[in-house]
Amino acid sequence: MATEKIKPPVNLSVLILFSLILLSLQLMSSAMQESSELSAMYSWLLLFNTLGSVVLLILVGANIYALVQHTKRREAGSRLTARMVSLFVVLALAPAVIVFYFSMQFLHQGIDSWFNVEIDRAMEDALELSQASLDQRMRWQLRQTEHLTDKLEDVSENAVTLEIENLRELSGATEITLFSKQAHIIASSSVNPGDILPSLPDEHVWLQLRQNGFFVALVPQREHELMVRVIVTVKSIESKYLQALYPVPVRIADLADSVEFASARYQEMSYLRNSLRMSFTLALSLVLLMSLLAAIWVAFISIRNITAPVKELVKGTKAVASGQYDQQLPVLAQDDLGFLVESFNEMTHRIAQARDETRKVGFEVENQRAYLETILGNLTAGVISFDEDYKIRTANQAAYRIFKVHVNQFVGRTLLELVESYVELTEPLKSIQYLLENADDIWQQRIAFLGPNGRQELLCRGTPLFSQEGFRVGSVVVFDDVTDLIQAQKNAAWGEVARRLAHEIKNPLTPIQLSAERLQLKLAEKLDSTDAAILQRSTRTIVQQVEAMKEMVDDFSEYAKPSKKQTVAIDLNLLIQEVLALYALKAGVKFRAHYQSGLQLINGDPVSIRQVLHNLIKNALEAVGIEGLIEINVHRILKNNADFLEIALYDNGTGIKDDQLEKIFEPYVTTKSKGTGLGLAIVKKIIEDHGGAIWVDTGRKVGAGFIIQLPACNS
Amino acid sequence: MAFTMHLLRSYNYFVCCIVLNFLPIIAYGDDFSAEVSHAEVVLQNDDYVLSAQINYHLSEKAKTALQNGVPLYWHLEVKLQQVNGFFGAKSWVVVGKHYRLQYHALLNMYRLKNEDEGVDHNFSSLASALELMSEVTNLPIIKKSELDSEHQYTCLVKLAFERDALPLPLRPFAYIDPQWYLSSDWTEWPLKK
Repeated sequence: MATEKIKPPVNLSVLILFSLILLSLQLMSSAMQESSELSAMYSWLLLFNTLGSVVLLILVGANIYALVQHTKRREAGSRLTARMVSLFVVLALAPAVIVFYFSMQFLHQGIDSWFNVEIDRAMEDALELSQASLDQRMRWQLRQTEHLTDKLEDVSENAVTLEIENLRELSGATEITLFSKQAHIIASSSVNPGDILPSLPDEHVWLQLRQNGFFVALVPQREHELMVRVIVTVKSIESKYLQALYPVPVRIADLADSVEFASARYQEMSYLRNSLRMSFTLALSLVLLMSLLAAIWVAFISIRNITAPVKELVKGTKAVASGQYDQQLPVLAQDDLGFLVESFNEMTHRIAQARDETRKVGFEVENQRAYLETILGNLTAGVISFDEDYKIRTANQAAYRIFKVHVNQFVGRTLLELVESYVELTEPLKSIQYLLENADDIWQQRIAFLGPNGRQELLCRGTPLFSQEGFRVGSVVVFDDVTDLIQAQKNAAWGEVARRLAHEIKNPLTPIQLSAERLQLKLAEKLDSTDAAILQRSTRTIVQQVEAMKEMVDDFSEYAKPSKKQTVAIDLNLLIQEVLALYALKAGVKFRAHYQSGLQLINGDPVSIRQVLHNLIKNALEAVGIEGLIEINVHRILKNNADFLEIALYDNGTGIKDDQLEKIFEPYVTTKSKGTGLGLAIVKKIIEDHGGAIWVDTGRKVGAGFIIQLPACNS
Repeated sequence: MAFTMHLLRSYNYFVCCIVLNFLPIIAYGDDFSAEVSHAEVVLQNDDYVLSAQINYHLSEKAKTALQNGVPLYWHLEVKLQQVNGFFGAKSWVVVGKHYRLQYHALLNMYRLKNEDEGVDHNFSSLASALELMSEVTNLPIIKKSELDSEHQYTCLVKLAFERDALPLPLRPFAYIDPQWYLSSDWTEWPLKK
């Protein structure tokens, strides 16, 4: 058996797809880290995974739909697949759902644990503390700046620049600028001599300044640096504004920045708490969904591969059950199922072999049976077999030819049951039944009876049949119609008698006749009238008797010699008409003839056939007397697949006595006072020499009837 | 039983989250997108310069996120399109400006940063910050010499809100929530030579 290449339960493409799904999930997981470079692709990865889930869902849905359809159609292996898939889904789903549930719990609890009231308050307090600290610093620097304005009230415009320089150094500000009411720079001093232009407040600052009379605010400078901008009004004749920029110490700025960063981060995280929870839930759900769907899909493929041999086995079993023994299933795996498939293949192979052998044997048996049937069918002897209850099992065609009964139609019935339907066969059938029941060994017996074809004589041989164990299982009877054989033997004997008569009797008759005539010639003149008269009477008697004996011997010779001298085609209708024409003038006797239309030809000697007709008609005329009816019918019949012409000749004369029926065709059998008794014997001999048959129609109750059948000539 | 109820609650919570996040699509009829209300390209010396007025309509969610320290990013994109008649149009980006707006709780200020130039602007109110973003003044687009005089050109301006720059947990919902669609459509007009 050719072994198939072992295939993995899941093919390479599925493994690749599964790896891609895992990779995609891993990428999405990595992308969820803010610091990850993949975070920019988070949305795309999420979309990709969602689409992947949809694709997997469609695949799983299509598989489930196909499985449901297969189960509805009760396809092979579908129920096993459904059961395995259900089991797998339940086994996979239950732990996955539990893990999902607890993961969600841990996740939500974990996220919630990041935030609590104390931390909220601490962060708010820290921010507020930072703000308060900076506010205090701003207020102090506002007051400090307001004190500085006092020193500028009486300073002339020319000395302002110098005074501002002093004030900046005195106050510790990094930059002090004096603005006019129109926001023009009057004087400015900066700790950095390179700063050409002082820091200018924007419109919003001016607006606030004009509304409040002062402005103080923290201004972020470069990275992680803070500056306090203070602008106050200088009380003088013409309103002026003094702007002072105070640096916030680096340490304080760093601390404030750190607090702000932490606070902002915490606030952002707190704000994103629900989004974060939903995002994690979504991602986790997506991972679970994709994993489950991918697992179910792969399970479908794997289970389909696993159940494929079972499916094939079911199909194969169905095929074997329906009689297809040539089923060879592919071996898909070298596992237990593969072994099962191999065993199945071996089994079907052996069944097929056994079937072939059985078929071959059956074919041979059938041939033998057909051969035997042909032999039996073509046997001239009838063969009937019986079972142990003497009921007919088989009968050949010859049985029908002999009994004129379709014995085959009585299979399963006894011979005695045939008797009820065929009374004329009572004698032979009862005899055979008796012999069957009483013989323990081979038996043989001649049975004579008056059948539908006239008197028939059967030579029956029978034997009981025994099984190998010695039980009687039936019997068989072989019988042959030996009527013709016996008749032929009789005819041959009579022919021999005739030849002997011709030889032994006819030869001396001529010298006897000549001697008597010579005695008459020589002695008639020498004797007196009385003696002469006696002599004449005696010699006449001798001559007459010799003549009579000659005729008798001639008749015997005629009977003994072959009757079919020259064979020509004879139109039987025409021949009968010619013969009947010779008797047409016979007053008182009526002839009625029925001919079948068309040429009714036979091959034969016309003289002999004419003699047959003459003999039969003469007999009939003698039987009917002065007035009577002689009827001749000619028609074509089909007998044993051969055409025959049947001549039926009936009269309404005295008929034939039953005790004469058996020997009516034998020589020296006559019902007449005169005649040799050879007429019907010659008729029968001529008919048989022409391949035909003649018998007395025993069914006719009035007068006598003879049936002649002669082979028809079709050309 | 408790487990089942928890499971159902988790499931219901998940479904509610999904539904609630999709609901705004149905519930909100307002348009929170930005709008280029006025734009003009004029030739100054050899340069085409763009002046535009952009109106920002921040949604409540955007304002709340901003107030809670979430930085918002916009990208002003200017494209030129060469009209090629039957063969369609060829376009290319000529200017891109990135803005970052963030609230600082400590200073109680809104800081607007031009990401390309690295310049910060601090505002005490959101309106002031948006006002500065709204006005695009004399933004050089292209030199006249770089244009083919045989072709017609159109100028396209769009302010795109960068949802991908939002914090990661917000992104999936920003894509399905119209309150986070803060971009303008492309505004197009022919370039006068």
